[in-house]
Amino acid sequence: MGDIFANLGLGLSVAVSPGNLVFLIIGVSVGMVVGLFPGFGPAAGIAILIPMTFGLDPTTAIIMLSGIYYGAMYGGTITSILINTPGESATVASTLDGYPLARNGRAGPALVMQAVASFFGGTVGVILICAFTPALAGFAASFGPSEYFLIVVLGLLLLTTMMGDNLLKGVISALFGFAIAMVGVDAVSGAQRFTFGSPELIGGIYFVPVAIGLFGIGELLHCIHIGQHRQEVQKLSFSFMSKDFWPTIKDYTESKFTFIRGSVIGFIAGVLPGSGATIGSILAYSIEKKVAKDPEKFGQGEMRGLVAPETANNAASAGAMVPLISLGIPGSGATAVLLGALLMWGLQPGPMLIVNKPDFVWGLIASMYLGNVMLVIISIVAIPLFVKFLDVPYRLVVPVIVILCVIGTFALHSSMIETWLLAITGVVGFGMKKFGYSPAATVLALVLGAMAENTFLQSLIIGDGSLSIFISRPISLFLSCIIAGIIIMAVVLRARRGRIRRKAVADALTQVNG
Amino acid sequence: MTTTIRSYLYGSVLACSLGFPLAQVQADSYPAEELNYTVAFGPGGGNDLMSRTVVDILKTHELFNGQNIRVENRDGGSGAIGFNYVAQQRGNPYHATSTSGNFLGTPIVSNTGWTYRDFTPIGLLARDAMVLAVRSDSGYETLQAFVDAAAEKNMKIGGTGAAGPERVVAGLFAKAADIDFTYVPSQDEGGLVTSLTSSSIDAIVANPSEVIGQVSAGNFRLLGYSERERSTVFPDVPTFTEQGYDFEFSLPRGVVMPADIPVEVRDWWVETLKQVVDTPEWQEYLTTKGLSGNTIWGDEFGHYLEKTDADFRGVLTEIGVIK
Repeated sequence: MGDIFANLGLGLSVAVSPGNLVFLIIGVSVGMVVGLFPGFGPAAGIAILIPMTFGLDPTTAIIMLSGIYYGAMYGGTITSILINTPGESATVASTLDGYPLARNGRAGPALVMQAVASFFGGTVGVILICAFTPALAGFAASFGPSEYFLIVVLGLLLLTTMMGDNLLKGVISALFGFAIAMVGVDAVSGAQRFTFGSPELIGGIYFVPVAIGLFGIGELLHCIHIGQHRQEVQKLSFSFMSKDFWPTIKDYTESKFTFIRGSVIGFIAGVLPGSGATIGSILAYSIEKKVAKDPEKFGQGEMRGLVAPETANNAASAGAMVPLISLGIPGSGATAVLLGALLMWGLQPGPMLIVNKPDFVWGLIASMYLGNVMLVIISIVAIPLFVKFLDVPYRLVVPVIVILCVIGTFALHSSMIETWLLAITGVVGFGMKKFGYSPAATVLALVLGAMAENTFLQSLIIGDGSLSIFISRPISLFLSCIIAGIIIMAVVLRARRGRIRRKAVADALTQVNG
Repeated sequence: MTTTIRSYLYGSVLACSLGFPLAQVQADSYPAEELNYTVAFGPGGGNDLMSRTVVDILKTHELFNGQNIRVENRDGGSGAIGFNYVAQQRGNPYHATSTSGNFLGTPIVSNTGWTYRDFTPIGLLARDAMVLAVRSDSGYETLQAFVDAAAEKNMKIGGTGAAGPERVVAGLFAKAADIDFTYVPSQDEGGLVTSLTSSSIDAIVANPSEVIGQVSAGNFRLLGYSERERSTVFPDVPTFTEQGYDFEFSLPRGVVMPADIPVEVRDWWVETLKQVVDTPEWQEYLTTKGLSGNTIWGDEFGHYLEKTDADFRGVLTEIGVIK
């Protein structure tokens, strides 16, 4: 324990130097803002700011860029709650109950609660990093291709069973995502697939335009379709004095275990290589719904349904720093960009980084702690400002969001193909929404598709074509058992529910006939 | 999933609208205009960092006669778009770009409309060679021990990408050592390193900078290095050649300019870049990136590109990626 305090002391002494503090504030504020804009996530924000850090000290630069990364987790939720548009993929799960809360007139408590939950998750995550970094690095190092593949399967399985109202439509949505992920260079043979000779498609279809199209444009089209723009604007005003602004005691007491569960699940998901905040938040939400005595309340504006993904995505963004720093394995687009920045500064991630550059590693960790304190203050103080978004008539909001979506997409790679892709997936997203398919499953399958395919093929090559590799290695065996358990449980529950329903129908018929 | 990060619309829009007149160059007055240094990849990547290091040195040491140098990222299609842009500037002595693996690799696997022949080679400033790494607890103390063991079992050798330089080095080594192996492609550096740390495979071919952290932590051992001479940064790693496996392969980190530029301009750049590689900043760049600083210039660089391109094509044809 003494070591941890000595390390944190060293870290704090680095982090509170005036220069580092200023750039930390810039980083977390930029993070909140990029999180706010749908489709303009931390990956793009970090990438755009990298060239501006060239004159800085490496530690200062990384402190600022990391601030963008976890700051976006706070900002992204604000749009998830207020306009049902996740600012980035890790806040998709926060729309499920966050948006209904706002529709129920509880936008204020939801925003305060998300800030508190984010702070709690982020802080627990940072504390866990300090305590477990060396051990977790060793654990992460034992993940080979077969374990990666099983983790991806587990993530997608949990996603489709969670979206669960219609399993078939969830699976179709995920398969659609896999189909899009097929475009580009085949990882094993090197052959080009579905690129139609276009050099822009060699690298595959980047998930950001698809996500902006499905979530941003698709959602707008659907809202226009159901006539939301004709509705009267509901004047929402917030005051710190008002009792309605703050979450009730009941909100806290009901979700006290949710805070802890969400943080721990999120952190574990963040540490696991290649999964990260998106899977962590979805996992936390689905587990919360599973353990709840009243799962039917979820999706209707349940505070626990917001707290779970919010603690989880922030704890995961802290957890993701473990494989990033100790192994150089990014778990998301944003951490991949951070890895690029680390390498650019000659900070080679690896087990030796913490030994060779303790001032950098612990300075970064301490800065994350300070950053979370700043973010919770910024987000609560600025809530009345953010809530003003809801006062604007919807017919004025629509064109602004469309412009942001188009600019955000074009700014990525200055690519017209991707801008067209945005338009097409926007229409597809509208159809998915209207007919009850799951855009979230599509986007996640697209994000994880290449990795799933690649690790599966790698595993088969390593196992000389035999599937036994998935049960012959201890961790793989463990993961395979969990996956099998979930599938069996889902099938049994479904069958039983079907029986109950049939019995209920039969009873009802008997009553009618009797 | 691609993790290349690309951005930047401002610079590129501006440059497109400035239709560049083909300047008649007097050698003694060169440079008289601004230089456009194109980076064919996104900000933050290896090619971007090398380009910016070169440009920074040119600026701080005032080697470009006080003229401005503008760096632009034009990425997409694994370098296809940016290199195409520079190739289009035929005869214009105010364009330059940095080469890396994709400068040769991308035209081989896809129809780009340009190859290395559409450029004037200036100098090879550094080389990205590959190492063969095994786990320290694997029992393979030397390359010879690895080759002997490979006679008994089919070795699983990993590398990044299906048809990249790692695949070429693995192929050339197996041919020279007359062993059989199965190549396991990883999609990124992180996955490659853990496929070895997790004991999933027997060895990996990687860039030294990707594994040096694991080597100093005592987890990995490096058995061979793919340049003919030892790396200037990792002089302890024996080359494949000196251990009796006669092949070499490295990726060119050099500077090229459009084709058909005046020979005086080329010579001016060769002399100038010789000064660049002599600076402490350049040496520091080589050390942090784990690159080898054995340089070659002008036509000799051109021959090197030709040889490397042929090796690349040879192995990719052999494994059926290209016909």
